[in-house]
Amino acid sequence: MAKYNKLTQVVAEELQAIVGKQRFSAGDSIKPDYAHDEMPIYGKVLPEAVCLAESTEEIAAIMKVCSREKIPVTVRGAGTGLVGGCVPVCGGIVLSTEKMNRILEYDMRNLCVRIQPGVLLCDLAADALAHGVMYPPDPGEKTATVGGNVSTNAGGMRAVKYGVTRDYVLAMTVVLPSGEVIQLGKSVCKTSSGYNLLHLMIGSEGTLGIITELTLKLIPKPEKDVTLMLPFHDIATAIAAVPSIKLANLDPQSIEFAERDVIDSSAEFTGNHIFPTVVNGKEAGAYILVTLVGNSEQELVPKMDRLGKIAEQTGAYDTLVIWTDTLKKDVWAARSAFLTVIEAQSKLLDEMDVVVPVDKIAPFLVFVHEQADQYGVYIKSFGHAGDGNLHIYCCSNDLEEDEFKKRVKKLMDASYAKCAEFGGQVSGEHAIGHAKKQYLRESVGETVYGLMTQIKTVFDPDAILNPGKVCHDLEGGAESC
Amino acid sequence: MLKILCCIKQVPDVNLVKIDPETGSLIRQGVPSILNPLDTNALEAAVSVKEQLGGEVTCITMGPDMAEEALRECLAAGADHAVLLSDRAFANADTLATSYVICSAARQLGQFDLIFCGKESLDGATGQMASQLAERFDASLLSGVLNICDICEEQKTVLAERELENGIEKTEATLPCLITVEKTNFHPRIPNLKSWKNSRTAEILRFNSHTIPELDPSQIGDPGSPTKVPRTYPPEVGESGLILQEGSPEKDVDRLFSLLKDVL
Repeated sequence: MAKYNKLTQVVAEELQAIVGKQRFSAGDSIKPDYAHDEMPIYGKVLPEAVCLAESTEEIAAIMKVCSREKIPVTVRGAGTGLVGGCVPVCGGIVLSTEKMNRILEYDMRNLCVRIQPGVLLCDLAADALAHGVMYPPDPGEKTATVGGNVSTNAGGMRAVKYGVTRDYVLAMTVVLPSGEVIQLGKSVCKTSSGYNLLHLMIGSEGTLGIITELTLKLIPKPEKDVTLMLPFHDIATAIAAVPSIKLANLDPQSIEFAERDVIDSSAEFTGNHIFPTVVNGKEAGAYILVTLVGNSEQELVPKMDRLGKIAEQTGAYDTLVIWTDTLKKDVWAARSAFLTVIEAQSKLLDEMDVVVPVDKIAPFLVFVHEQADQYGVYIKSFGHAGDGNLHIYCCSNDLEEDEFKKRVKKLMDASYAKCAEFGGQVSGEHAIGHAKKQYLRESVGETVYGLMTQIKTVFDPDAILNPGKVCHDLEGGAESC
Repeated sequence: MLKILCCIKQVPDVNLVKIDPETGSLIRQGVPSILNPLDTNALEAAVSVKEQLGGEVTCITMGPDMAEEALRECLAAGADHAVLLSDRAFANADTLATSYVICSAARQLGQFDLIFCGKESLDGATGQMASQLAERFDASLLSGVLNICDICEEQKTVLAERELENGIEKTEATLPCLITVEKTNFHPRIPNLKSWKNSRTAEILRFNSHTIPELDPSQIGDPGSPTKVPRTYPPEVGESGLILQEGSPEKDVDRLFSLLKDVL
């Protein structure tokens, strides 16, 4: 028996009255993008209606209707997720925050900013810098919404120094599935005040409540930064240098790695050849990028010297200095294009976003490459060497989709088991959605998974918020919706 | 040993420049200055020639004191010497006056075999400097060079491939020769730590209007510039297009016809 109700004409009209005709679509008028995120292999399901909300009050009113009618609600930001998190697997409505994109207020005395959840990360980052401050979280997908970043606890390149999105959320307004509006957190830096529901909400992927406003912590903008590029013979040698870099008291902002084939693909696709492929007469097979920040050139130079010595000791072919704005722009543009390039050059694509201890990065990549050879797919990878967060893409240009899925399932089963053996996590920043549920369950075990499902039930007894995601199981599969 | 000159310019990062809608002038305040991107390709070509055949590369620019930073960038990327021509009397120079000052100063440094220039600057984008400098240096000119195939110091010739509208031309020219390069094959390099550190403290040779011998005051700065810019204004931007995403090609076409019908 169906657990949820279908959207009737009467209810559709009620929802349309809340947001207005211009911000409501149903049936055939729904744009196809609302059926999927950036990893379409995890399925495309069109909702029955899309509501583009503009305020907390509208979202509260929508939730009152959907709660009363038991209609599933899937919240969506910019749709840049990679685990099917915003796919409305049970139909119902997609509630988009894309119109809630205003930066509301800076509080410079307390170094924080109040925003709506649909503000894009790139817009917040640029606006903060224009105000002389920095919003440190820096996930690779700059056109994601900050609300989406909070819902997945996205990390990004600067996590080594500054931490992840969670560390910058001070307070939020949340609409519960019932339509009730609550405030979580305060604009202060410490709390020892009962269970921390703010942090429960962060990373909950729209399954517990709907974030409608955020207060985020800012920091003073560093005056100077420099990125040093260390080319190595291969990925194993490159990764082996990371512990020495971390121990050198450099306080790096980021430590990134990239393998040569991704660099070649990026250069071919974008025409940006900024990564040197031959360094001092030797072919580079992998690269480490280290970004240092400080208040002056004088402060940075001794750190650059120390890193140069480590590079020599660990077998880097050279230490290259990315100092000018032009070089920085070119290098980081190439780095930011990796996923776009992989997507453009692969007909079929699946991904892993595991985190392993830093000393296990190289053996894990070797294992995945062996698996890929065995199953006849190819691997492209890059990621955050400083924190062990790897973005591994399984790709094929010649397999049929069903065959690809079968093979990648076997590869993933083995790889996530290896990740667990190495003491790793299923996801570092892309989250669980409905694509990685099985691996989450295997990773945390039945007791923890059971606690998660009970928490979900406390917040959302009718399971109308983003059903089928994270730890919510649809008995009988999506057909039972 | 080849003596190579590379002419560079520091320009505002035009991506970040705005134009005052009332006065029409460029708002340069707070806009970072960068080494002209196409000059980085010219420098790479110059340094590559030096690495293959020996010699030394001197970078030269005319500009305010802060242009020193662009010269240090060139030193980091492989130039051996840097020369800054800076004087208030040089201000408001057009390409004619600039090429006069650069050539007059460069003559103090000896006879150059090769002179490299970027194709054009990001800000003015006249593309006139190369031909003017070639004339003043009495050098042959190879523009739009894709590859430098051969340089014969004995015969004093350079053989290069040039990009034309309808193909590639292989041309030989005599030294001294001024070369402008296409960016395709001359990707700027990232300096290494040693080179970068040296560049931060390296000496930069400076000239002003008094230290360049026999400089004619009527040919420099504003008096020496026949080009006058009466007005600068942003290009008119047309209305942005409409992307039809109605859910299917059939619906897109229906919507398109409906829009056309409204217009007609």
